[in-house]
Amino acid sequence: MLARARGVESFLLTIAIASSIIVFFLLSPIIALFLMLDPRVFRESWFTDPVLSSEAWSALFLTIQASLLSTTVLCILSIPLAYLLARKSFLGKQVVEGLIDIPLMIPHAVAGIMVLVAYGRRGVLGWLTSSLGVAVDDSFWGIVAVMMFVSAPIMVDTLKLGFKSIDESIELVARSLGGSLWTVFRRITLPLSIPSILTGYILSWARAVSEVGAILIVAYYPKTINVLVIEWFNTYGLRYAVSLSIVLVLLSLIVFIATRMVFRK
Amino acid sequence: MIVVEDLVVKLGDFTLEIPRLEVRDREYLVVMGPSGVGKTVFLLTLAGFFTPMRGRILVNGRNITRYPPEKRGFTLIPQDYGLFPHMTVYENIAFGLEVRGFNKKDVRDRVEWIAEVLEIKNILGKKPRELSGGEQQRVALARALVVKPEIILLDEPFSNLDPRRRAGAREFIKELRKKLGFTAIHVTHDLVDAVELGDRIAYMESGRLLGVYGVEEFLKSPYARPYIDNVKALVKFLR
Repeated sequence: MLARARGVESFLLTIAIASSIIVFFLLSPIIALFLMLDPRVFRESWFTDPVLSSEAWSALFLTIQASLLSTTVLCILSIPLAYLLARKSFLGKQVVEGLIDIPLMIPHAVAGIMVLVAYGRRGVLGWLTSSLGVAVDDSFWGIVAVMMFVSAPIMVDTLKLGFKSIDESIELVARSLGGSLWTVFRRITLPLSIPSILTGYILSWARAVSEVGAILIVAYYPKTINVLVIEWFNTYGLRYAVSLSIVLVLLSLIVFIATRMVFRK
Repeated sequence: MIVVEDLVVKLGDFTLEIPRLEVRDREYLVVMGPSGVGKTVFLLTLAGFFTPMRGRILVNGRNITRYPPEKRGFTLIPQDYGLFPHMTVYENIAFGLEVRGFNKKDVRDRVEWIAEVLEIKNILGKKPRELSGGEQQRVALARALVVKPEIILLDEPFSNLDPRRRAGAREFIKELRKKLGFTAIHVTHDLVDAVELGDRIAYMESGRLLGVYGVEEFLKSPYARPYIDNVKALVKFLR
């Protein structure tokens, strides 16, 4: 009996040590960022220096604006696709699923090149994006397009899993009670998918905000906060890059903690 | 009356064949057969979720074979009752009335009426996760019956209940039939359910409906033999 209890203890101890290592590994950079922060540089970057602070605030607002727009558009467009993939079988379904996951597997710079050659002014569909006024080269729309491209797999896969987790018999009952396909989707399937829609939205938004490699290729200007971090690091050094980075880390932490609290409720 | 004629449904390698079946008004027809013979496929075909490659389904002479599920008036009660988890009991029961275009007052009156009949008025404000298995079953029946369907299709509705609750559920359905007199097809592989509830028993094997029998007639048929042998073995053991 005692030997068995010791076995459990040593097992739990091993698990705890292994877990602590990964938590320490993830936490250290966050703590280091705060330790490296120079309050004077932070004030200068965000408040006192008119040139630097104006650049920092506009980059931050641009990043938030582009990421919210790209995630919202992506969410709306992904719901029908995810529903289709979760509920129906059709020829070429696996090919479509593979295509959706491509942005997960390719290097970020390559993703940028792909967006540029497709939707850039001289790209294959450049005539279309130009005529619609959403040409991607060095423009706000370029940032939105890149953010949508890189976060699409996360959004579609999360929504697909959400739809799959809804018991199909509930939808069958609703139809047998007189609900049309539209009514059942609107009143049963969609409300039951809200947790996965929120999860997909938050994860995709985080992915969009974190993108830099592809944005550097497609739209260096206007500068997002990530591009500015790289530029300040190269021009002014680490302390200035840290003062920008810390705001992004805080923003992400606040969003994720708030989301977890909402989900818990 | 519901008539099924020469119905054939193909799903991959599986074929469902119903040469002829009549369900009379206010009849409680039990469909029996081993697991995997297509009883659920049969119910879902009646409900409109599978398209037959041949045959007809008639309701009082009207051919509804190509009607979509929402236009048939065949309400489904699946094994786990399929209650809408994000809605209250009231909203669950009201759903079928609302989508049919009833006004708020009529919806309220009808929901209160069926809740009274099924003795679930005290739980109308609760969510399905707060209900016991028996209460969930009553809500599912209320939701199916409140729209006054042509027929209700029950797919092994007692399978999640323990034997004591199962007996109670059978008694409850018998009482409900006396009060409301509805038509039903009930799929089960439990002989006691079939004998206690069924006016007649339809028997299926390998995707095909082999016949429809009176209860006593079914008990004398070779199809009832394996079920009766099971009961006999139990009785012998108890002696």
